[in-house]
Amino acid sequence: MSRAYLNMGISEKIKDDLKNKIQRNLDRAYITRVLKILGTRPILSAYGSTFASESDKILNIASIKSLKNAYSGRYPVAYGSLFLPYEMIHALGLAPFLPEVMAGFTGGLGITDKTLKEAASKWYTPDLCTFHRSAAGAVELEIFPKPNFLLCANLACDAAQKTFYIDAVKYNIKDNYYLLEVPFTKDKTGIEYLANQIQNICEDIAKKTGKKLDMDKFSKTISLSNQFRHWAIKLNSIRKKLYNYPENFNGLNFILPFHGLAGTEDAVKVYRSMYFEFKKLLEVQDAAPKNKSKKRLLWLHLKPYYKNRIFNVLEENNYILGFEEINYVYWPELDTARPFESLAVKMLSHPLNGSIDNRICAIQNMVKDYNIDGAILFSHWGCRHSNGGARIIKDSLNKSGVPLLILDGDCLNKNNSSEGQMLTRLQGFIEIINSSYK
Amino acid sequence: MFTCGIDVGSVSAEAVILDKNNDKKKICAYIIAPTGGDSKEAALSVFNSALKKAGLQQQQIESVVATGYGRQNIPFANKNITEITCHARGVVDFFPQTRTVIDIGGQDSKVIKLDAGGNPLDFLMNDKCAAGTGRFLEVMSKALDINLENFSEIFKKTKDKVDISSTCTVFAESEIVSLIGHGADKNKIIKGLVYSITNRIISMVERIGLEEPVCMTGGVAKNMAVVEALSEKLEVKIYVPSEPQITGALGAAILAG
Ligand code: SF4
Repeated sequence: MSRAYLNMGISEKIKDDLKNKIQRNLDRAYITRVLKILGTRPILSAYGSTFASESDKILNIASIKSLKNAYSGRYPVAYGSLFLPYEMIHALGLAPFLPEVMAGFTGGLGITDKTLKEAASKWYTPDLCTFHRSAAGAVELEIFPKPNFLLCANLACDAAQKTFYIDAVKYNIKDNYYLLEVPFTKDKTGIEYLANQIQNICEDIAKKTGKKLDMDKFSKTISLSNQFRHWAIKLNSIRKKLYNYPENFNGLNFILPFHGLAGTEDAVKVYRSMYFEFKKLLEVQDAAPKNKSKKRLLWLHLKPYYKNRIFNVLEENNYILGFEEINYVYWPELDTARPFESLAVKMLSHPLNGSIDNRICAIQNMVKDYNIDGAILFSHWGCRHSNGGARIIKDSLNKSGVPLLILDGDCLNKNNSSEGQMLTRLQGFIEIINSSYK
Repeated sequence: MFTCGIDVGSVSAEAVILDKNNDKKKICAYIIAPTGGDSKEAALSVFNSALKKAGLQQQQIESVVATGYGRQNIPFANKNITEITCHARGVVDFFPQTRTVIDIGGQDSKVIKLDAGGNPLDFLMNDKCAAGTGRFLEVMSKALDINLENFSEIFKKTKDKVDISSTCTVFAESEIVSLIGHGADKNKIIKGLVYSITNRIISMVERIGLEEPVCMTGGVAKNMAVVEALSEKLEVKIYVPSEPQITGALGAAILAG
């Protein structure tokens, strides 16, 4: 049996077990019980053989730990939207929970039909992205842990600020709902404006949790974030040259560690161990450089999280993902002495903030750095920020001689995309790239 | 050397047998038949009929390439290639200078952009609905109780049109039923319908960037009303191959060599 590499941070076998049990007992108390035993020593040793590598094991354990904490009731839970600097949540001693990311997990668990149905019955419009709709359904069904705080930002994606507010109303914690208003420009005023908001929110939450703002903890968290960044950059630099990934590796599965674990030891460990594993692979490749014939694609935005054949088709045609937009390290090293400003800079450096030119510039850099032959933008239903720029991105890439396929689909709702059509477009695109190499 | 291309679409299946000698190639036989409910069966049936028509045995066919939505389901094919590449290749055989291909089939439509050498550069396919496809026209012809074959003539002789606001097949059908109920002239409705499907295709052509010469293929290319309306709206001449339904299978047969 091939060992599935990272899958939302949960290995296939663990996921299959979870899936069956959770599908049968769809409630928060049951999930808490399942999570309680997962990640414990005896279970891990029983499941140990399914880990694809050491880094896979570290990531699995870290992901389960993060979920366990959120469900345990031992820590105040903070819902966070995707582009938030999670360092602030870790430094405040809160257990982060990422509803959008965990909505991806509902896809993997095969419960999206139920969460989407629930969301529909609560008037969530079907033109809203399914990450938000599925998360909203999971909150309504009380599958997700109960939040104590809800933090969101208007960076790139504007839906969480609305859906989180509905969650805050449901749990009667409107005062614990925070919105970071991110300005469009990364200038002095913008940085100050955002840094003040981050600081105020942190002070307010610290007060509400009966703690004083621990600046040492903030500095330590920022320092860990820098270490994670350091290893992520090193890992990415190996990927620039690597043509042979570990079996079943998919770079699109790293949203949780890249965002939700930023500022933790776990993120540092995951990326450091992955770096050393990939370095070994590069050494093997350099010793016998015959397998450099693969074509390299840049993947923009996300992928479908239900079972599909997209990546099998790429593999069968000798294509790999040279890189994924979501793994791009876009922010500079952070200043441990100025945590709030640093986190503001991190947010403002995101290529999805501000003009579409920022995203295009980042994409063009990735194309150059990662030796890219073609790009695929997965046009996820309802994602305005990503789909809105598709045409300009296509024009820009075409100008540089890089073909772009805009692949329409839905990351979570398999009923909203036809696999046959998707695969025909993908195969047609591959044929176009291949014919241009003849 | 003989090769065969098989195009299994959602509505019809086609087979083309090609005799390739040195640089010359000749179509020995082609078959067009409805796909029905079993795409595998349809592929085998058009293959056998084409062999019979060409007076050949299966062993004499060097290579078979399958294309179309059922392409992966044809056990006797040596290879499968998408309809995007196959249509492009087939069209270039009819009109070597073609730079834009508009293909409207039974249940999907696509626009393919070609480079000067006839290689596909980019493409667009319609969404997962029947709007802008042959199915749209079929449903409307049933709702109007007027044979599709008469659409061209009616389109030509009718001056005015009734605007059809729905592009969705289901909504357009009920719109038509209510128009008839309100006594609208059926001929004008047909004119409106043809423009409606054309508008859908035009937006795809514009997205990909129109370049001449333009060639149209697929079953709907046999409907001169649509060809004329497209030509009028795009302000270009539209070339249609003598048999526009076999370009996919022909391209597959060419690529099979
Ligand atoms: S896919 Fe787009 S709309 Fe959906 S959560 Fe992500 S950024 Fe927001």
